[in-house]
Amino acid sequence: MPQTLRVIYSAFRMAMLHWIADPQWVIPNIIAPFVFTTVALTLFKETTGPFGLYAVLGGGMMGMWGNTLYSSGFAIEFEKWQGTLEEVMAAPSKLLHVITGRAVSNALFGLTNMVAVLVIAALGFKISLGIADPLLFAVSLVLTLLSVSALGLIFASAFVLSRSAQTLTNGLEIPLYLISGSMFPIALLPFWVHPAAYVLGPTWGIDAIRLATSQEYISQTFWAGVDPKIAIAFDLAVMFLITSVYAAIATVLFKMVEKRARTTGTLVEA
Amino acid sequence: MNRFRIFLSSAIFSYRAQFSWLNPSMWLTMKFVLSLSQMAFFVFIGRFIQGPPVIPFIAIGNALQTLSWNTVFSVINITSHDKWDGTLPLVLATPASRLPLFMGRAMIHVLDGMLSVAISFVFAAFLFGVDFRNANALALTVTVLLTAFTMAGFGLLIGGLSFYFREPLIFANIFLFTLLIFCGVNFPVDDLPELIRPVSYIFPLTYGVTATRKAIEGQTLFDISNFLGQQLVVGLISMMLGYLFFRTFEHVARKTGRLEAI
Repeated sequence: MPQTLRVIYSAFRMAMLHWIADPQWVIPNIIAPFVFTTVALTLFKETTGPFGLYAVLGGGMMGMWGNTLYSSGFAIEFEKWQGTLEEVMAAPSKLLHVITGRAVSNALFGLTNMVAVLVIAALGFKISLGIADPLLFAVSLVLTLLSVSALGLIFASAFVLSRSAQTLTNGLEIPLYLISGSMFPIALLPFWVHPAAYVLGPTWGIDAIRLATSQEYISQTFWAGVDPKIAIAFDLAVMFLITSVYAAIATVLFKMVEKRARTTGTLVEA
Repeated sequence: MNRFRIFLSSAIFSYRAQFSWLNPSMWLTMKFVLSLSQMAFFVFIGRFIQGPPVIPFIAIGNALQTLSWNTVFSVINITSHDKWDGTLPLVLATPASRLPLFMGRAMIHVLDGMLSVAISFVFAAFLFGVDFRNANALALTVTVLLTAFTMAGFGLLIGGLSFYFREPLIFANIFLFTLLIFCGVNFPVDDLPELIRPVSYIFPLTYGVTATRKAIEGQTLFDISNFLGQQLVVGLISMMLGYLFFRTFEHVARKTGRLEAI
């Protein structure tokens, strides 16, 4: 296994072990998406059509969002609290790779929310959970997870570079649920909000996930009128581009973090 | 006089203490961004599913629910920070009378919560077209005040209960968001499954949300007095139970010498 992947895998494994050792922290990260989805499902109860699955998939997406925002935003802080940041910084591995492993594990843990929401939807609200194209669904889900993780990397580095990033992290959760159209079509939002939605990778990811679940959603997407499979390909391509930009920004930010840590020697106290 | 001084200093200290985790910019974010985005999120869902007529119902419910950030989340967090910051032994070692000390912890959050609701009402009126022209100002003010006060009692109850647990913050998150399901904030309580519907009536917010909607429709204080009466009873019971938990915890801590280990 290449060294980079080995580092990412090790960090991923360590983060998983931390979660297993102290699973209570899953609760604050997923409680909001879980409750929001339950509220939406109750509102969807009286309607017909594919709305129920719309809420379920959106809820799962929000779970990934929530977990990534908080856990990745606090990833470097977490190392600081545990007293391991000095060792991580001194190791020959890049900090970016360590935090990448942690960010991927956070997004993956966010999926626990999707499972919980699926169970509630199937048992409590009797919603049919059929998936039209399981392969495209799985591919879209994995790529969206990576996109959310890449965004988590930006939050993780921004948190260290700016004190106000903490405010940003805490204040961004619900606005991101809102802007990314996790529970309703973006078209409902005011026009001036649309650009903010389109620069978020997960906005395209949830679109692809929905289309892979049911082609009925095509009329509510950016690609209305296009063949659903081609629309999914467009969604994934746009998300890939945006995720690459996230990764590039995160690389630059992490270089700044490492440089500042080594020149000022104040990273741990910051 | 001494009891009032304890009450006042407890209120001021507990409010100031929250700024150890909540810096002013985050406070402003919570006041403006969170309240608006939560309201907008549910309004857009409601509009998507049920159309424009549901907007005022959801906007008003969420406007009132914003006070839970202050009266539930912040009040429970006092317990959490007493544990993490090592101030719990000092609080329990003081000879100060416990009742004003306990009650004071939540009281400025009542005022702060009312400010949050006022800001949210402005959003509801100007961004989501909620009509306040017929609102009965006296009934609305009394309802918001009473809801903030009784929800602070509920915050004290959960805060007192969470003395026994390692992470009160987790309780804060769970209770803050479950209010959205049980209290008729986004849909009527009657839409809940019959089995869990009675749970709604243990939360003071449920009565407050109903009374607020009626006050905005123009009903008088007398018209909504039955909701407010029930709300007050539930709130006072919460407060008393919270105080009981607080004293029981103190007793256990003194007896076992495990002040912060619980």
